[in-house]
Amino acid sequence: MSRFERKILFAIGLSVFLALGGSIFLARGALHEVYLVGVNERFGAELVHGVEARRGQLMALRAGSEQAADAVEWAVEAELAKRGRTSNLEPLLKQLLGRYDLVQAIRVVDETGAAVASALREADPTDPPMRTTTRDREVETGTQSLRIGVEVAVPEAYFERLQEAGAAADVYSRLQRESASVSDVYVWVFGIMVFLVIVVAFLIGAIVSRRVTRRVTALAEASRRVGAGDLTVTLPTGATDEVAELTQAFNDMVRDLSDSRARIEYLQRISAWQDFARRLAHEIKNPLTPIQLAAQELDETYGGADDAYRKKLRHARAIIEEEVATLRRLVGEFSAFAKLPSADLSPSDLCDLSQSIEDSVPAILEDVGDGTPAPVEVRVSCATEPLRVRMDPMMLKRGVDNLLRNAIQAVYEAHPSGGGRVYVRAYGTNTSGFIEVRDNGPGIATENWERVFDPYYTSKAEGTGLGLAIVKKVVLEHGGEVRLDRAPEGGARFSIELPLMDPR
Amino acid sequence: MRYWLAALVLLIATVAYAELPTHEVGVTWSRGAPQVSFSAMDLADERVRRELSTGLRKRLVVTVGSHLEGSGWRMAMRQFGCAVTLDLWDDDYLVRIGNHTQRLKTLDDVLNRCLAVEGLFAGEPKSYERQKGREMYFVVKAEFNPISQRQCSELIRPTSGGDSVAPLTANIVRRQICRAERTIEFRSQIVRVPQ
Repeated sequence: MSRFERKILFAIGLSVFLALGGSIFLARGALHEVYLVGVNERFGAELVHGVEARRGQLMALRAGSEQAADAVEWAVEAELAKRGRTSNLEPLLKQLLGRYDLVQAIRVVDETGAAVASALREADPTDPPMRTTTRDREVETGTQSLRIGVEVAVPEAYFERLQEAGAAADVYSRLQRESASVSDVYVWVFGIMVFLVIVVAFLIGAIVSRRVTRRVTALAEASRRVGAGDLTVTLPTGATDEVAELTQAFNDMVRDLSDSRARIEYLQRISAWQDFARRLAHEIKNPLTPIQLAAQELDETYGGADDAYRKKLRHARAIIEEEVATLRRLVGEFSAFAKLPSADLSPSDLCDLSQSIEDSVPAILEDVGDGTPAPVEVRVSCATEPLRVRMDPMMLKRGVDNLLRNAIQAVYEAHPSGGGRVYVRAYGTNTSGFIEVRDNGPGIATENWERVFDPYYTSKAEGTGLGLAIVKKVVLEHGGEVRLDRAPEGGARFSIELPLMDPR
Repeated sequence: MRYWLAALVLLIATVAYAELPTHEVGVTWSRGAPQVSFSAMDLADERVRRELSTGLRKRLVVTVGSHLEGSGWRMAMRQFGCAVTLDLWDDDYLVRIGNHTQRLKTLDDVLNRCLAVEGLFAGEPKSYERQKGREMYFVVKAEFNPISQRQCSELIRPTSGGDSVAPLTANIVRRQICRAERTIEFRSQIVRVPQ
């Protein structure tokens, strides 16, 4: 893991922990407060009071039932004492039954357990379940001992409600007792969930940051390679973020560096060749005149009568003069190449240049046609808008003339009786101005495209291989590029690209 | 890996039961299973006695576990509980054990019935079949008024929303809220599973 990656992960972790740690702290306080609002002493006390009230109600019912039983027993006992007999007690018992709601049944039995009298409340099937109990009392009626049983009842629901209230109060008191720990449970669960979220966020952050840092690390590695001199490095841009923009800028920078280096190397090479051409011209030029004079003298001073020998002398003189002439031309071209000046740039319009090129077309056609204009159609055109570039018009015209001459020669050789066409076009894009020379000649084989700009490389029988080298030197000194590809017409297309002074 | 796990279990068991006091527990073996007799009357302190006399239903739960000496591994467990209610109508105690309800006159009768255990089978014979001759002990836990799991689930329910954390939280809260109001725990002397 790189230091950059560690730093990013640390930043992610710190920000996530701070944010979520703060939320846990706040949640803890909020939960505690919320819990205290829901579970507080007042509610607890009210629940306990409710239980006490239900218990009190039951105790009161019990006391009431006991009092009713006592009252029934006293009334029966008093009646028996008044009458002195046990017969016909039912009306009294029914009367008592009607008076006391809690009493369900009254039974009077003798000492053998035989029923003496009884009264029962009629059961209603819709009545709720009741809990009953019997209060017994023994009474003496002089001759016999009787047992009065009073059955009292209260609804079973009263007991159930007491238990329900008790259970609710029990749970509530537990919630109250455990208030701190229960809210802590929620905080813990929240904390664990937050921790899991942090872990997931951290993992996602790590994956995302690794994608970014991997690209930054690749960028750093590529920079090291560029620093070590490797200008072939190109990084994939991929996404559309700032890192991708940085990568694209890096690629552009490396390409510019590579182009600059190629330009400098080419110009250095040309310079070396110019130096070589200068010395070669100097060394060859000096002996040419003595050689020619010596050959002339040998031919003219021969006084012998041998006609065959004289004929040989004249033939040799002709050969020497012809070769010396060829050498003079070569020396002249070498010398011109060696003396090629550096471009003196100033603001100019490419259309003006194309106009001056158009002016020189007849002379070139005549030169190529050895005195008569070669039957080649040459069209020169320019964009309607001005194409202002910094250039040396003389030097650049010389370069374009070279291209034009080569094109005319090529199509003339291919179409000596007419039909050859050459187009010169000046046009612009948003950032660059172009001059294009293309023809419908045989073109140049693709495998030679890389070498055609090398000095002394030529495919022509009498060429020096300096024309295109001069073109490239001139264009490079203008900060431009010259390219070769295939023209739509089938021949060669040379394009000179120069940076516009006022990009659109 | 297995040895490490065994060591971990042993350590946990040692720590868990090391602090338990030892009480005498009567043990007789019948048809390959132990019958234990002991008293957990210590559970009934003054507060427990007062609570049992409120007329509200309270629970007394006794759990007996048999453990192997050394590893602490639990071989069997038996639990029984009494639901005790003072009947405010008749002034006696209703004691419900399982499906059976009986009336007892005094609180001491209730405590004797529920906390003085006599001849309780602690597990099935098959739980002890493979441990013959090995040393073991019993752990007794007596609890006053733990809220039953069913009742606790009814009382403390997770919210009906889509929150997936609520059941988990409710479960933890239940464990805290529904635990016994008073608990005593002790272990027996070491006994040997008969051959």
